[in-house]
Amino acid sequence: MANKDEVSKQFLDALEFRGIKRRDFLKYCGATAILLGFSESFAPKIAAAIENATKRQPVVWLNFASDSGCTEAFIKATYPSPAQVILDILSVDYNETIMAAAGKQAEEILVKSRQEGGYILIVEGGIPTKKGHGMIGNKEMLEVFKENAGPAIAILAIGSCATTGGVPAAKPNPSQIIGTAEALKRLGISKPLVNLDLCPVNPEYLVGVVVNFLLLGKIPDLDHFGRPKMFYGQTIHDNCERRAHFDAGRFVEVFGSKEESLNYCLYKMGCKGPMTWSACPKIQYNDRTSWCVKAGGPCIGCAEPGWTDKFAGFYERLPGVKIPGMDGVEAGADKIGAIAAAATAAGIALHAVATGVSGRIKDKDGGEK
Amino acid sequence: MAQKLTKTWSLGYIIEHWTRVIAIAVLTFTGFYIHWPFIAGGLECLLMSWMRFLHFVAAYVLILGLVVRVYMAFRSTFDADWKDFGIIRNIKNIPDSLGYHLFIKGSHKDYRKYDPLQALIYLCVAAVIVVAAFTGGALYQGNIFGFIQAPDSFLWVTALLGGESATRLVHILSMWFFIVFVLIHVYMSIMTTMVNKDKTLTSILTGYKLKKFSK
Repeated sequence: MANKDEVSKQFLDALEFRGIKRRDFLKYCGATAILLGFSESFAPKIAAAIENATKRQPVVWLNFASDSGCTEAFIKATYPSPAQVILDILSVDYNETIMAAAGKQAEEILVKSRQEGGYILIVEGGIPTKKGHGMIGNKEMLEVFKENAGPAIAILAIGSCATTGGVPAAKPNPSQIIGTAEALKRLGISKPLVNLDLCPVNPEYLVGVVVNFLLLGKIPDLDHFGRPKMFYGQTIHDNCERRAHFDAGRFVEVFGSKEESLNYCLYKMGCKGPMTWSACPKIQYNDRTSWCVKAGGPCIGCAEPGWTDKFAGFYERLPGVKIPGMDGVEAGADKIGAIAAAATAAGIALHAVATGVSGRIKDKDGGEK
Repeated sequence: MAQKLTKTWSLGYIIEHWTRVIAIAVLTFTGFYIHWPFIAGGLECLLMSWMRFLHFVAAYVLILGLVVRVYMAFRSTFDADWKDFGIIRNIKNIPDSLGYHLFIKGSHKDYRKYDPLQALIYLCVAAVIVVAAFTGGALYQGNIFGFIQAPDSFLWVTALLGGESATRLVHILSMWFFIVFVLIHVYMSIMTTMVNKDKTLTSILTGYKLKKFSK
């Protein structure tokens, strides 16, 4: 390769072999450049950075307790998108779900990576902390994580299982699953960590962060949940294609209705878009084909930490709040309010009757002496 | 025992009170609508947008009203009543007041302007306005008063309560506090008027109450 900033023909041929045309790849690099806030002229630099990264093992992909949905999100496309292929090229050496090697050979790859160090560790899935609830090669998952987190330069927790435990950590959480951030805290390891919440993670987000790291050598700006601001800086509600219907007060009241066929707002069907921070409406899924709300499903808020418990009652506008001290009793905020108001009214009525009986009102001089 | 009409509320207090009444009424109605849009709109009227607009305007009124009230408590030329809100003194007086209201005692001490329970609940109202304002700020997207960036400046509120869902719940529960408060407040003023025959109920319009004093 003569020029460091240009991608080699060899690499482009390799991509073409996997079904990605040169033009599509460069277009993708341009789009990624803009996504990351660079000018489009950065596209060749991004292409080169991706190619350079393939010359070593830049990414180790670990699978823990999850449904492998994030992996599935990448590999279950009819036509692979550039994002999928790039990740495939970057991480195929060690990805427990899809790699060809098994047993000792697989572990050897990992050992070699660890010796070389300096890789980005991608964590998919939550980490069980209860003994025997999740083991790889006779080792506790927490142990596996500890071994591989050490030599890593940065850790990307992808999908809500990896960030905060997600579905496997939903109550009652029998395996006591924790997220990556919590695991790092317990193990006392300090590493730059990027949380990519979503269930499953959007491949574009992941490639965006990886490319950003390959180009600049640092992780992007993070919000208070450790998520990159560039992808989690606005609510879904803000950019929703159905927002006009919300502002106009036009809502779907029941599924299968005329309002639904007119694509009215799903707010009353329990859409969590207003409280969910993600760029889903802009970037969309499956190579920008569609996303939940576009497909007619109310957002279930999977970009928010703890969404499985917090937002359970996915078709409810504001899911129930657990009353502390009253085990198992759930009541919506409105129910609490209505009960409080009813109790107040009852109290008032009682007091009014009592005042009448006491004769205070009849006292002409006024009750207070 | 002679009775005499005494000026209890200045025009400032009266305006302050009714401004807050309107603000709370608008906030409650629009708040219910934003929580659960019970009227179908159309593109001609942008119903939700108007409801939210009214909600935010009323929120400004409520917040600024509290600021004005606090200022009046200290600097009102008519009646700066901040001393009536002493928490410890009022808590000490609760048994006396509660005893009277629960018919255990026949009378209670003479309180200058507010019953101890009343003073404490007014303090709670102020606190709940602050809670509603901060949770509201955390849910708002824009520049509050034109310069406080929301929700960025209130992320700590969301973090403290454990996410936006919880913030919404606290915000909505603060509304229910106001509903319960208004119920009790109106009842107590009617009941006090009936028992004491001192024109308490109309005093918030006229400013005058009947006060007893011994010659």
